[in-house]
Amino acid sequence: MTPLSRRAFTAAAAGALLTGCGGARAAHPSGTGGPTTTPLHTTGSSRPPANPVRALARSIPVGLRIPAIGVDTPVMQLGLAADGTVEVPPIAAHDEAGWYRYSPTPGQTGPSVILAHVTVGAYGDGVFRHLARLRPGDRIVARLENGSQPEFTVTGVRTVAKSDFPTAAVYGDVDRPELRLITCGGPRSGSGYLDNVIVFAELAPAGS
Amino acid sequence: MRRTVLSAVALACTAVLAGSVPAFADGASPTPSPTVSQTASTAPSQAPGAAPTAVPSDAPGTAAPAESTAPGQVAAVPQGAPNTGVAPVSSHSSGADGGLIGAGAAAALALGGGAVLVVRRRRATGA
Repeated sequence: MTPLSRRAFTAAAAGALLTGCGGARAAHPSGTGGPTTTPLHTTGSSRPPANPVRALARSIPVGLRIPAIGVDTPVMQLGLAADGTVEVPPIAAHDEAGWYRYSPTPGQTGPSVILAHVTVGAYGDGVFRHLARLRPGDRIVARLENGSQPEFTVTGVRTVAKSDFPTAAVYGDVDRPELRLITCGGPRSGSGYLDNVIVFAELAPAGS
Repeated sequence: MRRTVLSAVALACTAVLAGSVPAFADGASPTPSPTVSQTASTAPSQAPGAAPTAVPSDAPGTAAPAESTAPGQVAAVPQGAPNTGVAPVSSHSSGADGGLIGAGAAAALALGGGAVLVVRRRRATGA
């Protein structure tokens, strides 16, 4: 072995040792790097209202009056049931309507949803027994907790199969204060009904 | 020349030993090395774990409600159709049952009354 080769051998051995020591440390930081934060939602439904009706401040509804079908009822608050469906008023002799509290209050911009029974079993007719009789142009008056009574005008009445419930049309965003009244209807199935009756109404201009 | 080679080899050996001592120290003390390995293992597990779970849960789990709930005017969109009607079948049936019970009671009373009349007439005629 010549001196040159010996020096080269020792230099290579030292270099190999040094690279071996450094390589083990370099292995640690090279693990992560994946993005942990992902953009969740892009809010931005800022559609300007294009109607002359002025939206009201939030105030919980406490009563509902529909002169065309003789309804004058207190309004309770309803939430979500455990299965994800909307709660409904209890089956009781003194049936009353219920406002879905995750929807806007009547008069706020958006679809305010109020539900009531069409029939309440052994107790007979429910508050919304004749809801399907409403016609476009009929008036609906909501009594709010702050004392105001916004008036709504019926724009449409739909009877839809429960299996084809129009979730977007009922709960979807709108650019003005609207009201949805919901009950059951159509043919019976056992102790229930196969259809839903949905009344669509919009806030009437003040003074109309 | 041999001296230089031997000294180089000795230097290399000392370098190896010097490098291996910290390695042994890392391995000998169990607490630091597992924590290092844990952090190393948790970091990657968080990274891939968070990324897939966040993305699919956003996609299928909240896709339908998120589009309409979070930024929407209705804070939580219910599922399905509301069950806003209990058909008055039970009331009719209970009413029919009540009618049947009443008719039965009336029939029993009529039979009993008739029997009493028959007995009295027989006694009156001296039978």
